Parts: sequence; C-alpha cells; structure tokens
Amino acid sequence: MKKGIEKYYPLIPVFAAYLGLFLIGKNVSGMWQLVAMLLFYCALGQAFNIFLGMTGYVDFGYVAFMGVGTYGMALAITKLAHFEGLGIAIIIIGFVMALFMATLLSLAVGAVALRLRGAYFAIATIGVNEGLRFLIEGARIWNGSEGLIFTAQLNQILGRETASTLMTFWADIMVLIIAVSAAFITLYYIRSKIGYALTALREDEDAAKVMGINVTKYKIIAFITSACFAGLLGAASWALKTPYVFPPEVFEIHYTIEAIIIVLLGGSGTLLGPVVGGLIYGISKYYLSIFIPGFQLLIFAPIIIIIIVLFPEGVVGMLKNRFKDSALGQFII
Amino acid sequence: MSLLILENVTKRFGGLVAVDQVSLEIKHGEFVGIVGPNGSGKTTLFNVINGVFFPEEGKVFFEGLDITTLPPYKRAPLGIGRTFQIPRPFASATVRENVAVGAMFGTLSGKVNVDESLKIADQTIERVGLKEHRSKQAGSLTPVEKKLMEIARALAMKPKLLLMDEAMAGMHPNDIDQMVAFIKQVAEEDKIAIVAMVEHIMRAVVGMAEKVIVLHQGAKLVDAPTKEALEDPKVVEVYLGRPPEE
Repeated sequence: MKKGIEKYYPLIPVFAAYLGLFLIGKNVSGMWQLVAMLLFYCALGQAFNIFLGMTGYVDFGYVAFMGVGTYGMALAITKLAHFEGLGIAIIIIGFVMALFMATLLSLAVGAVALRLRGAYFAIATIGVNEGLRFLIEGARIWNGSEGLIFTAQLNQILGRETASTLMTFWADIMVLIIAVSAAFITLYYIRSKIGYALTALREDEDAAKVMGINVTKYKIIAFITSACFAGLLGAASWALKTPYVFPPEVFEIHYTIEAIIIVLLGGSGTLLGPVVGGLIYGISKYYLSIFIPGFQLLIFAPIIIIIIVLFPEGVVGMLKNRFKDSALGQFII
Repeated sequence: MSLLILENVTKRFGGLVAVDQVSLEIKHGEFVGIVGPNGSGKTTLFNVINGVFFPEEGKVFFEGLDITTLPPYKRAPLGIGRTFQIPRPFASATVRENVAVGAMFGTLSGKVNVDESLKIADQTIERVGLKEHRSKQAGSLTPVEKKLMEIARALAMKPKLLLMDEAMAGMHPNDIDQMVAFIKQVAEEDKIAIVAMVEHIMRAVVGMAEKVIVLHQGAKLVDAPTKEALEDPKVVEVYLGRPPEE
C-alpha cells in the first residue's frame, strides 16, 4: 500500500475535473446551467457507484433515496418555517433530516431486499420506489399528490435575495461538496478492508462467505453509505434548487436509469469512473438536445451502446488496465 | 482432542437424503480422502462442514466447539479453509488482492490490517510459485494457476483444516504429481489437516491420503486406511458393480 501523500494521488484527476467545471461555470457566461447539470450527474454517479459499482447489485429503486432526501429538506423547511430566527440553520436541519430519512429507508429496504440476488433484488427495489410513491399519494402523506411547495417559506426565512442565490448558486455548490465527499469515501472504501470485502462479494458471494467475509454486513455498509449520499443529493439538488416536491417527480425511475448508465459508462467500482461517465453522459445529453431536438435519444442510444461494447469495463476501467504498470497508473483507480 | 468431529449428521433436500447419518473424525494434521461416485453426498458433506448448509440432525464439532449452526463467515476464521472444484477466483482483483482477502478475513484475530495482509499474500504467493503473476487479474490465469491461487488464498487464512474440492480434476498427470507433492509438503510444514474430495482420480488419493472415507448414497460405507479402503469389496462394488456370478 502507498504511504503518505501518494495515497491521495487518485483524487487528483477527480478534483481537477471538478475544479475545471467550477472555473468554467464561474468565468464563462451562460455556462453555469450546464456546469450545474454536470455536477449533478457526476455526484449522482459517485453516490450510486458506492453501491452499484462496488457490490455489483443493481438497485432500480435508487431514486427513492433521493426522493426521501428531498422530502426531508422540504419537511424541515415547511414545518419549521414559523420559528423565528432559524435562518440558515434550517438548511442544516434539512440536510440532517434528509440523511435520517435516507438512512431509515435504506435500513428497512436493505434488511429485506439484500437477502435477494440479481434480478430478484432489482425487481424488489423497483417495487420499493413505486410503492413509496403510491403510498405518499394514496395515503395523502406529506400533502399527498399535491406535494409541498415552499418557495414562500424560503423567502420568508432567508430573505428574497439570499433565497434566490441559494437556489441558483449555493445549491449547486452543495452538490459539488457532496460529490467531493463521495470521492473521499469511495477512495477510503477502496483502500480499506471494506473495499476488499466488497470486491470479493461482487465477484463471488459464496466464495467470499467461505473466506470469512460477513457479506451481509458489508453490503449494508455500502447500501447505507450510497443511500445517504443520494438523500443529501436530493435535498441539495432537488429541494433547494427548485423549492417544491411532487411524488411523481422525485420517484421518477428515469433518474435511476441515468445513474446506472453513468456508472457503467465510466467504469463501475472505480473512483474516477462516475466522474468521466457523468461528464460524457451530461455533455452528450445537453448538446444532442440542442442540435437535434427530438431525436437526441435516437443518437444517444447508439453512442452508449458503442462505448459499452468498446469498453466493457467502462472508460476508466479500460484506462486503469492499460496504465496499470506505468507511472500514470497511480492516478487512475 | 480431535480437530473435526461429525456426529450422526443428516442433511435432507426435501425428500432426498443427501447426507445420511454420517459420523467421522479428523485429527490434527491428518490427510483424509473423501471418495464416492457422483451424487454420493461429498459436496453436501463439505457444505455442512464449512457452514453453507446446516444439518437437520446431528452435530458438528471443531476443536471441541459446537459449530453446527455457525454461519460460514464465522467458521473460516476458526481455521476452516476451502478450495473449489472449479476455481472461483475474485476475477477482477489481482492475484495479490485475492490472496490478501484470505489473510484479512480468514484469520482468527480478525485484526489483520490491509498492509499486513498484502505482506502475507506476497509470502504465500511466492510459496505456491505464482510470484511473477501476482499483479495479474485472477481471471486471466490458466486453470492450473487458478488452482494454485486458490490454494494460496486458503493458505493465507492459516487454516487448521483445508477442504479441497476435487483439486486435481482436469489436470495433466504430471501436474497432478507435482501438485500432490506440493500439497503434502505444505500440509506437513503448516500442520494442516487436509480433507480432499475425490471423484475419479484415485491416483491422487493413493498418493497422499492416510485415510479414506467412502460415501455411497449419502451414507458412510467405509472409513479405513487408504490401501485397505480401496481394496474393500464394497468399494469395488460401488465403483465397478457386482462381479459376475461364476
């Protein structure tokens, strides 16, 4: 194992990408929207990679954790708005709430669904996502299908101007912070016993058990970590950027699919992969919809298929293998 | 004290009795062959020993400890290692990482950190002669190298008992001789008891086992020193059928 500062070399390309994005967004006029979207996709990929990439389990209900995170923030703001003088602290309470709800849901889902494997796990998790959405709508929990709208409360608590910069700038910075934290955690996991256990169980769960690995424990660690980042991401990117939440929007399976594509494009289980995947996915999606509106998916699908066929281990997976023995190798994991 | 004791162990799958009232005893450092035709319950017996299945009846003791219902991941650190008939490497990980996993999770203290495990892995890899392959992905090894890697992975766990699932199947006779010699040497050096499951390649059993246990339709047929067991008429009958009436 590498000593001292060398341990952190693989973070350099990740942070370079984020710094580049930030500088472009800040200095080139009209680019912040695109940068914000790319940051979101990179963060989404990094959060999902901790579970999908490291365990090999495909959670089709992943967006549910973002959904409850969004509700966590929304509930904190709507329920606590009448307390005077909370100010910016309400946002922190919102994030804690988002973390709490995502953890709770991941424990409940994990305890049951992680006993299943392969397609059964995937189907069970879709069920969780759809079930949760219809439960909220049908049982009229948290205002049911009318959702929660809290623009007024945000303006009242923070003042109109602060609320506006929060939505258009600081929310995106929070997404960036979430992405950076996810990168640290991913590197820590890869380098520690957790990473070895997860690799082993991803490749052969039964052999891993026989080698002395408590597979359930490590699957749940990865599941909860990943869910927590999703909850935070929902709170930052969905609740704060657009201060309303409707069940059909936050439990939209589309986002899970996007997350899966990003992780696979970049290289599942790698540190840099989700960032590269997020950039490829976000940039292609953005420009294709500008240049050939209406036909973007028709072009996009073959692009994804070509990349997956050319690089079955993802772009970063391929680079990692190619530069394994060279000096560049220590930057790419 | 015996290393492993099975007392009247029975494992059923629905109506099928896969292991039927089997009792056996393995001593420290002993080399035992489990022999039996296809479907005789050898694999199920292995799975009962390392905890993949729990028996419906009977008890399993390891060094005096009742492990009948202990999950596999808790048995491995006690000193029960296993290799598979078809090697099951963690394919995307390197040989070194594969072996390190054994040291990291398969040892009793449970406190071996990543650095120490990698060190142990390097030593073990050198011992089985895979040094030049250590940073290759395990999935890219040849079948024989994969078998050696599995043995290294199991050795890194510092087992007291090593269950070898048809370790010689599909190998060239020359390789088998080498492998047998190597395994025997390692077992003696590390004082590991080896239980090797054998379906066809008797040559390997004769070469290394001190004792042979023959299974037939889930039940124990013979439990005797190797030469005696293989000449037993019941064993001959199981494998070759009854001799023609004269």
